[in-house]
Amino acid sequence: MKKENSGDVFLVLKFKNKNKEKIRNRYNEYNDEFVIETKELNLWYEDNHALKNINMKFRKNKVTAIIGPSGCGKSTLLRCFNRMNDVIEGCRIEGEVLFKGENLYNNNADIRINRKKIGMIFQKPNPFPMSIYDNIIYGPKIHKIEDNEILEEITENCLKRAVLWDEVKDRLKDTAMSLSGGQQQRLCIARALAVEPEILLMDEPTASLDPIATQKIEDLIFELKKEWTVIIVTHNMQQAARISDYTGFMYLGELIEYGETTQIFENPHQKLTENYITGRFG
Amino acid sequence: MATETVYDQILYKEDLSYLKKNRDPIIKWTLFVFASIATIFVFLIIIFLFINGAPFFAAVPLNDFLFGTNWLPTAGDFGALPIIVDTLLVTFGAIIIALPLGLATAIFIAEIAPPKLRKALKFTVEILAGIPSIVYGFFGLIVLNVIIKDIFGLHYGNSWLSGSFILAIMALPTIVSVCEDAIRAVPDYYRNASYAMGATKWQTIRKIVIPAGMSGITAAIILGIGRALGETMAMLLVIGNCKTFPEPLTNLLDCVAVITSTIAAGWGPTEQGSLEQRSYLALAIFLFLMTLIINTIANLILSRIQRKFSGERSKKRFSEFRESKLYKYMQKYKQLLLTIIISGLFILIPIDFVSRVIGVSICIGLSFLMYIRKKVPQNKKKWITYGIIIAFVGWVLSTWIGILLAITICVLILGTIYVIRRISTVSQQRLWFSIIYLFSLLAVIIVGILVSYIVVRGFPVLLEPDFLTGFPSDNGREGGILPAIVGTLELTLGSIAFALPLGVCAGIYLSEYAKNNRITKIIRAGIDNLNGTPSIVFALFGFVFFILFFGLGRSLLVGILTLGLMILPTIIRTTEEAVKAIPQSFREGSLALGSSKWQGIGKIVFPAAIPGIITGAILGMGRSAGETAPIMFTAVRSSARWITFSLFEPVMALTYHLYRLNTEVLDAVDKAAGTALTLLILVLLLYAFAFIIRSRYEKRKQW
Repeated sequence: MKKENSGDVFLVLKFKNKNKEKIRNRYNEYNDEFVIETKELNLWYEDNHALKNINMKFRKNKVTAIIGPSGCGKSTLLRCFNRMNDVIEGCRIEGEVLFKGENLYNNNADIRINRKKIGMIFQKPNPFPMSIYDNIIYGPKIHKIEDNEILEEITENCLKRAVLWDEVKDRLKDTAMSLSGGQQQRLCIARALAVEPEILLMDEPTASLDPIATQKIEDLIFELKKEWTVIIVTHNMQQAARISDYTGFMYLGELIEYGETTQIFENPHQKLTENYITGRFG
Repeated sequence: MATETVYDQILYKEDLSYLKKNRDPIIKWTLFVFASIATIFVFLIIIFLFINGAPFFAAVPLNDFLFGTNWLPTAGDFGALPIIVDTLLVTFGAIIIALPLGLATAIFIAEIAPPKLRKALKFTVEILAGIPSIVYGFFGLIVLNVIIKDIFGLHYGNSWLSGSFILAIMALPTIVSVCEDAIRAVPDYYRNASYAMGATKWQTIRKIVIPAGMSGITAAIILGIGRALGETMAMLLVIGNCKTFPEPLTNLLDCVAVITSTIAAGWGPTEQGSLEQRSYLALAIFLFLMTLIINTIANLILSRIQRKFSGERSKKRFSEFRESKLYKYMQKYKQLLLTIIISGLFILIPIDFVSRVIGVSICIGLSFLMYIRKKVPQNKKKWITYGIIIAFVGWVLSTWIGILLAITICVLILGTIYVIRRISTVSQQRLWFSIIYLFSLLAVIIVGILVSYIVVRGFPVLLEPDFLTGFPSDNGREGGILPAIVGTLELTLGSIAFALPLGVCAGIYLSEYAKNNRITKIIRAGIDNLNGTPSIVFALFGFVFFILFFGLGRSLLVGILTLGLMILPTIIRTTEEAVKAIPQSFREGSLALGSSKWQGIGKIVFPAAIPGIITGAILGMGRSAGETAPIMFTAVRSSARWITFSLFEPVMALTYHLYRLNTEVLDAVDKAAGTALTLLILVLLLYAFAFIIRSRYEKRKQW
């Protein structure tokens, strides 16, 4: 997809413009620059201390990349932000994860509300075994949108934002499993966008894709950051350097260094970071 | 750039508190209740059996039961040793026949057959596993026993040999199918590595594939043994049911009795609550424990295979113990330890002095042989194994045809082995492949004869005008089998209607909601073991629980409940497996959109698992349509001139009708063949249907 076309992709929705101001406010109401913040975050799988005292702040409307060697806990950290670790048996968490100032791990914080606001893209594309259309409307339906016209509108809009519309518009009723890997991943992004999250978490979204599909996803992330906060975990350092504004480097469950991407890659303060970035280990 | 248009709309309510109204807890508790009911039933069977059997063990010493040699409950003699020994002998004979045929067929299907033939054969084998045992019994009684009688010039054909043979045919599909799975599970890179070093195909199979699949093959044998041990109806018809040892012990042509057939033959006329009745419960408990041990071993082996090839590491259980010095000493002297323990057992059990001496000396002799085997160099080890086997075969042969002939044959066999080991690898391959072809052909022919005999004999009967639509008269000699067909359908549909909701809910709860703790593990183990429990045990439970305890009469309802309980474990397990096969990423994908746990399961996981669940349900239906033992005492009547749909009246059933036409009614072979064919068609159609659904679903599956 060419960059110049991306402007056309973000079509103005046809209906319900009256609440425009309200929405704008909703997005800006949390005026702090940081939208997610972790405080002394510790995590154990059974006896394995997977995250150690993570203190990190994520800026709004920026792409933040988390890099590090395999098993350093970067995916685990990402999964803390929408509490996907709750699914795993034997996982224990201490510390706070603040989303717009509220602790996600508070007893009265509703896990589903937060998951709606914080979308997630997984490493392996995981479209549901149903049609493309049904995949997109699955989320909205869960959140009580039943009107078919609106659902169709959402489908078109989201697929366009995920730069998939032109490829699938004639076969929305086909099973999503018939798409290629890269298309499936963009479908998953569209599916996440359909519930209008405020933050997108991406767990190595291009790890199982070929270079061309990867390029498309990266272009997409570049567009997405204009409206969303994106936190991306990646194995690929070039990718982190290309698309992110901020980068955090993790090693053995600890956050070693965190700063602007240019600074991390050009002038790392820590010896460990430098070794990793220059390919001496990992 | 059109950034400002993005939040143009409010699609989603600002207030998301509706999400807090959550039906999840209600659904979870409903599922929990269903799962508990299913689990309680599963354990009720075990508990009831033991409670009702216990007074027997209080009244009769265990020694008299296990080692007494005279079984005559009406006279107060409860020595079950002949029955137990006979059971083991019949099972042993069946495995000796079924293993070479089954393994050869499995190798042929997995390694040699072209893909299309493989598919067709695999499909056939799986369907054949569904042939009802009463049909085998019918075939054994009418054909096999007559052949044996004529060949050996006996008065009766009912014998150990025919029992073993029928069991072998019956266990063949199980053995072929599990062996084939085990062989297919060996990764291709093993084979490629072997070919790359210049090995022939046979060498690869013999030295790489079979050793790698060995644990699966062992599991197949054990499952085959389990199936053979639990077989009731066919045994009842073909082995003669005399509760004595064969005379001499290797006499294949003597009549014998197995545990299941003894129970089935004796249970009916016993007085309620009498010691006689409890003695049959005691036999059932013994049988249950035997199959429990066998199934546990098979399950352990099968789960180890799964771990082996999936690369998952086993849990470090007893790791401290393993590192202790004691364990290392035990490892070093395990042979000695085993010898001492087994010899000790021989000394402790109450048998006469001579048997004690023989037992202990066999034990010591064997362990001495094993000790020598350890000392000899690697390439000579085989000969000791061959020697032991040949000595055994020689002894058996000598009791049949005299010592001289036996020795000649043994020498010939040893010579042949020696020659085979000397010829070139290509000729070896040719030789072994011809043996495999021969054996698989033999297996196909045997099963083919069975099926075609029933078809040829039964088809003309089926075409008779009144057979399928008429009512029986003259004890089934005349007329048709309509009430039996309707009764079987009622029982089958009823049992699935009872078992499916319970089983599916329990399966979903166990796989999705139950915490992986000790209680869940115990429940799972209980379900697994009931899965392989002989149907005669369910029959006794149904009778004791519903008829004696609840006072329900012999009726369709009791039959439905008994059959339903019998297929419940299967349904729970297939549901659980179907649900588990759905990738975790679907659940996570749904959760990440803000769905509740049940929304994800109900809308994504369950629909994707439906084909698997349906397959399990249809297989369960096939099984309950083909079972005789569980309904024999609980639900059937021998003849009916009307069709009843009342739950509280007994019905006719195809299986029981066929049983009666073979035993009580003597001159109705044609009608019996017609009934057998009807039953065969009904059950095989169900099985075929189930496997077609499964294969289509596997083809469509894209994750």
